[in-house]
Amino acid sequence: MTAVIDVENLTKRYRSTTAVDDLSFRIEEHAIYGFLGSNGAGKTTTMSMLTAQNFPTSGSIRVFGEQPYENARILSRMCFVRESQKYPDDFTPQHAFHSARLFFPHWDEDFAQSLISDFRLPVRTTIKKLSRGQLSAVGVIIGLAARAEITFFDEPYLGLDAVARTLFYDRLMEDYAEHPRTIVLSSHLIDEIADLIERVLIIDDGRLLVDETTDDLRGQAVTLTGSADQVDRFIVGRELLHRQSLGNVSSATVLGTLSDAELTDAREAGLERTPVPLQQLVVHLTQKNRNGSSGTGSGAESGAGTRSIESSEART
Amino acid sequence: MTTASRTTTSTATGGTTVTTTGDAPRAADPIRARAADPPTGRTASTGSRILNVVRLQFVNRYTFLWIPLIIIVSAVILSLAIYWMIGSDSPMYGGGGQAPLWYYLVAGIQAMSLTFPFSQAMSLTRREFFLGTVLAAAISAVVLAAFYVLLGLLEQATSGYGINGYIVYLPWVWESGWVGTAAVVAALTMFFFLTGFWFATIYRRAGTIAVTLATVGLAVVLLAAIFVITRMEAWMSVLEFFTTLGPLGLAGILGGLAVVVGTASWVTLRRSMH
Repeated sequence: MTAVIDVENLTKRYRSTTAVDDLSFRIEEHAIYGFLGSNGAGKTTTMSMLTAQNFPTSGSIRVFGEQPYENARILSRMCFVRESQKYPDDFTPQHAFHSARLFFPHWDEDFAQSLISDFRLPVRTTIKKLSRGQLSAVGVIIGLAARAEITFFDEPYLGLDAVARTLFYDRLMEDYAEHPRTIVLSSHLIDEIADLIERVLIIDDGRLLVDETTDDLRGQAVTLTGSADQVDRFIVGRELLHRQSLGNVSSATVLGTLSDAELTDAREAGLERTPVPLQQLVVHLTQKNRNGSSGTGSGAESGAGTRSIESSEART
Repeated sequence: MTTASRTTTSTATGGTTVTTTGDAPRAADPIRARAADPPTGRTASTGSRILNVVRLQFVNRYTFLWIPLIIIVSAVILSLAIYWMIGSDSPMYGGGGQAPLWYYLVAGIQAMSLTFPFSQAMSLTRREFFLGTVLAAAISAVVLAAFYVLLGLLEQATSGYGINGYIVYLPWVWESGWVGTAAVVAALTMFFFLTGFWFATIYRRAGTIAVTLATVGLAVVLLAAIFVITRMEAWMSVLEFFTTLGPLGLAGILGGLAVVVGTASWVTLRRSMH
């Protein structure tokens, strides 16, 4: 694989806080990345620095092998769609798209027009008067139609309803299939984007927690679905991440892998392996990191496990 | 790199299933993104990107074209109404012509606070944004200056709209003819625009307190100058200086100030974050 972004020891310190703490990772070309983490984990700051909108305190950033700051050659190959993008006063969506056409070399006007009608976006209303969802749609349309070689979407769905979000995911996948490029999608709605992303980067407190393929990450846990009794039997002695019950049918996600013998056993017990919910896995890894970093050891870890059982049961 | 090594991604969202394999999309029109790639032929040169910033600033033609003209026309109409109410046989001069300048202060602030973040979303460098924006403001200043010259010639030809009322045709400014007037108007416009731009840049980089301190600092400097001139009883020589300076000299000084403020803006903007 070819890395299009190469980050080494990236750190951003503000007066009293460290927003990004010694991050090192690579982003490969032609892949969709999920950039995950809680609020304030440093996702937006990192993406700002990668697009040279913000400056690192230390560390190095290479995009297409070059340093991006004030580098038009590199910047013009990227597009960063912010959650809270500002637009010039009295701009309409039409003005914004017209401008984007000037600056993004791969801009596809037909695609933009079809997205405008898909999202039912009023293009002649000033952006100030748009709803939050319509405002997000403006950014999403720019990000998709720009077809930049690297596109960052920072929580692009704020205010978008379920229909519009599905539309965004569908259009993104369709267009990505025809025009492969690198996409970095930061999101809180992890399960919604779980099927889109090929690789996962998780950061917490400005530090990199996970850098894996989605499949490998999911491979760290197993979800079994079947009769509640059999599920209970199987999860004994394993760390439980998530459990859902409906009548006599239960579904439980536990950490670790199953041996072939255990798999056969499970199959005979009428248990089915279903996809691991990514969100629970991410929550677990984040909690584990926080307990670990506060130095309370393994006792707290199993405590976290118990908490996640309680919270998941409370939800079902 | 081999495409065969890519895993097959199968995605199902909202009922549509898109299956992507490593080979299929490449056969379509892949966007080239290899580290060693030279910039593609479609990548615009810096010069044309700067010109595109000018076009970006004029996408909404109100900002740099119609609003300044609307303001000066309104100022003329309001001044004429006042002149008409006063009525006089000797020429009446007013200061309504300065009205658009204050708008340029605001336009400078907005170019920074609103258009700069958008220019970043358009993946522009700070240099491209700054040069394109200054060029757009300069074009606007030239248009405004031309409009002042035309208005002045009209006032001259109609003896103050037939009622001895002058707004733009001020004798001292027209001392060197239309060239001097155009130069003064253009230089003043740029000075006001860049001042607004600079203060907005300071605000972005350092916040409200910095802007307040800069404003207070400026006031202190002006006050000190006034104090010194008054103490030295030098007001007459100051007036004399400006009289002998003439409009072209004044335009030169204003232009120099605009360059100083513009340079300061660039230095502040260069390290300013989104």
